[in-house]
Amino acid sequence: MESMPPQNDHPLQGEMLQGTLDLLILQTLVPGPAHGHTIAHIIEHRSDEVLQVEHGSLYPALHRLENRGWIASFWGTSENNRKARYYRLTALGRQQLKTHTNNWDRLVRAVNRVLRPAED
Amino acid sequence: MGWKRFFRRRQWDEERALELDAYIEQETADNIARGMSPGLARRCAQKKLGNVTVIREEIYRMNSLVLIETIFQDARRGIRGFLETPGATLVALLSLALGIGATTAIFSVIYGVLISPYPYAKANEIWAPQILDLKNPDRVRMLHHMREYVELKKLPAFADAMATLPENRLLTGDHAPENFESRSVTANAFEFLGVSPVLGRTIQPSDIKPDGTPEPVIVLSYKAWIRLFNASPSALGQQLLLNDQPFTVIGVMPPRFGWWTNDGGWLVLPEDRRDNRSVAAIVRLNKGVSQKRAEDQLQALHLQLAKERPDDFPKTGFTTALKNYMDVTAASGEMESSLRLLFGAVGFLLLIACANVANLQLARGAARAHEIAVRISIGAGRLRLFRQLLTESVVLSVLGGVFGVLLALAITKLIVALIPDSYVPNEARISVNGYVLLFSAAVSVLTGILFGLAPALKCSRSDVVATLKEAGRNLSTAAAGAGTRKALVVAEIALSVVLLMGASLTIRGFLKLLNLDLGFHPDRVLMVRLPLQPKRYPTYEQRVAFTERVLTLVSNLPGVRSVAIGNGGLPFGGPETTYTIEGQPKVESRTLVLGLISSDYTQTMGIQLRGGRTFTRGEVVHAQPVALINEAAAKLWPAGMSPIGAHVHLDFLENPRGQLLPPPASTPEVTILGIIANTRNAGLKSPPVPSAYIPYTLLAPPMRMLAIQTQTPPMSLLNAVRERLRTIDKDQPLSSPMTLEDVVGLETVQPRFNMALFTFFGMLGLALAAAGIYSMVSYTVTTRTHEIGIRMAIGAGRRDVLALILASGGRLVIIGLGLGIAASWMLGRYLRSEVFEVPETDALALGGVVIVLSLVALVACLMPAQRAARLDPVSALRHE
Repeated sequence: MESMPPQNDHPLQGEMLQGTLDLLILQTLVPGPAHGHTIAHIIEHRSDEVLQVEHGSLYPALHRLENRGWIASFWGTSENNRKARYYRLTALGRQQLKTHTNNWDRLVRAVNRVLRPAED
Repeated sequence: MGWKRFFRRRQWDEERALELDAYIEQETADNIARGMSPGLARRCAQKKLGNVTVIREEIYRMNSLVLIETIFQDARRGIRGFLETPGATLVALLSLALGIGATTAIFSVIYGVLISPYPYAKANEIWAPQILDLKNPDRVRMLHHMREYVELKKLPAFADAMATLPENRLLTGDHAPENFESRSVTANAFEFLGVSPVLGRTIQPSDIKPDGTPEPVIVLSYKAWIRLFNASPSALGQQLLLNDQPFTVIGVMPPRFGWWTNDGGWLVLPEDRRDNRSVAAIVRLNKGVSQKRAEDQLQALHLQLAKERPDDFPKTGFTTALKNYMDVTAASGEMESSLRLLFGAVGFLLLIACANVANLQLARGAARAHEIAVRISIGAGRLRLFRQLLTESVVLSVLGGVFGVLLALAITKLIVALIPDSYVPNEARISVNGYVLLFSAAVSVLTGILFGLAPALKCSRSDVVATLKEAGRNLSTAAAGAGTRKALVVAEIALSVVLLMGASLTIRGFLKLLNLDLGFHPDRVLMVRLPLQPKRYPTYEQRVAFTERVLTLVSNLPGVRSVAIGNGGLPFGGPETTYTIEGQPKVESRTLVLGLISSDYTQTMGIQLRGGRTFTRGEVVHAQPVALINEAAAKLWPAGMSPIGAHVHLDFLENPRGQLLPPPASTPEVTILGIIANTRNAGLKSPPVPSAYIPYTLLAPPMRMLAIQTQTPPMSLLNAVRERLRTIDKDQPLSSPMTLEDVVGLETVQPRFNMALFTFFGMLGLALAAAGIYSMVSYTVTTRTHEIGIRMAIGAGRRDVLALILASGGRLVIIGLGLGIAASWMLGRYLRSEVFEVPETDALALGGVVIVLSLVALVACLMPAQRAARLDPVSALRHE
């Protein structure tokens, strides 16, 4: 049913990114509300530029999270006095972040155990 | 939640756009701060963000009910596209409307007449028992004696049974005397049939008194209620005098209820074994009983009954069959096969319409190839495009279907006006009802898919690079589609040839009937029936005296040339009898059809005397054993032997059946006085059968068929005849007055119906095919304009161009014509049917089709060809 994905989109990569990106966005918003531009740069910056997110793909993710009620948005003024849409974490989002972070940690630990059994 | 988002998505989208703008501004500002030039800063910002439109689309889709949304979107886009090419769209819509309209109309007739003709409960589970003569399968006994019926209904295979005795009665009293169609039914009949009355109650088992006699009650048909009681509810409880016996009206049936009559009423029939009359029985089977098992049980019963009364059953053996009631309607036979063939014909018409529209869609597709290639190259999915193109087709066909249904309403009205009543069950109602609408909706959607599939596949599969390279020059894509398009036009022509052949054959058949030598003159003859009540005229003398008085009084009326009795042979039918020619051996299988006539019969009917003489009045009145025979009967005599003066023994006179009364001193031996010309006495479609005419006084039947030859238009004398009759017997009804021409006309109503509809649909098919040819050739001219310019530049004349284009169309027409003739020839052999009175090889019919199609095709080709020939070479060369 759903069709017309961008021609260069490799679905596997997209799916892997999606859940992770959600997690990253939620984490970015823990300290306080931020707008899209800031979120994108924070993610890029914090990951030492390893996670090269195409900034555009952030917005559908934001929209999805908002639809789920994990984040909420409002219009505010940016640092340089422009109108900007701010996102903040909701209670549900905070809880989801906790669960997902736990899951993520468990996943990483599990993967690590498989990859580097000796070091454990 | 989903729905709310769905309706707010436009606002959302605007917010997203603002938000994305904000990002660009921010990033640009940051970039400038990093030392970039403003232009570079913005470009970098845009690059970083990615494709804004794709982002917005992605978010937009999250808020959508995607499938519905895109269907509406495609439909809107489709309609916009159609509006851009109004001419082609109109042709397409018209084609579809005609195709779907015709199909819907015929389906509504088929639904009303064949699929659901009856208002009776589970009509398809009603069975009628029949006894088939093994030796002579045409002889079918459909009636049972009451005695047999009583046994029959006890069989374990049957869940229920009912019997009907159709016997008219004389209605007198407060109403004008008439031959009332009374139908006696067993007390369970209305429960069996499962129809409720609109007024009062129906007949119930309690209407049989404890002593077995019936209550004198009557349930009226809707028509009779309106006719006799002005549709007044006070009819209940009133009385009708039938055969001098009062019957109390207890109920009125709805208009669609027409069990054996739709103009009379139903009385109670007691199940009395001593009743010697024959009834029509119908049954319902018990659950789990197969037709075969029921037939076996019934056959066993029949064999047993045949032992008791061998005379009641075929002597040379018989079988028993149960016929489903749906298969024994008035429509079975001629009307059914006609409707089946017509359904096939409109199916062809629909196919022609589909081919037409597919062609137009292909042409549109070719024009849009560039647009579609561009869309694919910027990321549109092929599946999505395919769906879009198909949706467009379905939108077109559904629109066509809407117009088609409107057209169907008109065509159905036309068919209802044309359809011969006597070939349709009187319960049948033909209308564009819910089922019919459902059918046409399904047909519309399927049609859209059918004609949309090929163009949609072609377009969505197109080679993007090649199409884009052509950059608007449509030459090769046009050429690529040309094969399919030509094949479609050929198919259209072939289909329309088949339709035209059908039309042509029915026209030929009808004309053949019209030009038939009837053997009599049907003009200016009034026919009336005088049914004598056997109880009112119980003796031979009374019947003959009444008849002679009628003949005398009517013949003295001013404007009357002559008047005659003609039971049987007026103009068709009559009782059949085996016979023996004196001095010759008897041939058991040969029969003569008997006509019971009075002295002026040949004169009134305009039948030529071939030899000998006709009866004198005295011979008729005194019941002399004399006879006339027709030429067909004269051939039964050995060559060289003159039948005139010969004696023939007519077995029928020996033991007359029914309510015939032979004269006191009767003899089955008659002397032949004369030979008269053959008449079409077995219907117009059959050859004349051997026939003998004897004075009606030899049998004095209760029914008199009166033929009155008039000087003025026959119907103008009807009232005068009625007046005369009243002076003889004021309670004597005169029924079914008709002109002889109308009687003969009844024989041609079905052929006329066939001819009208086949011709109508044939012409529609031809028109659609002509539109197809025209658009194909026009398209060829458009795509070849450049080439034509070159040809003209290097010396081709206008004639050459004309010939070139005509040849391109002509080839298709010839191939289509050939295929169509071959197809109709094959179909004709396969579909041999009484609808077509002449064989499919009929040269005149074939020639007519070839000429009509060629002429129409020529006109369709000539218009664009002339346009090509008038092209200005210079502008043609510049044409892209």
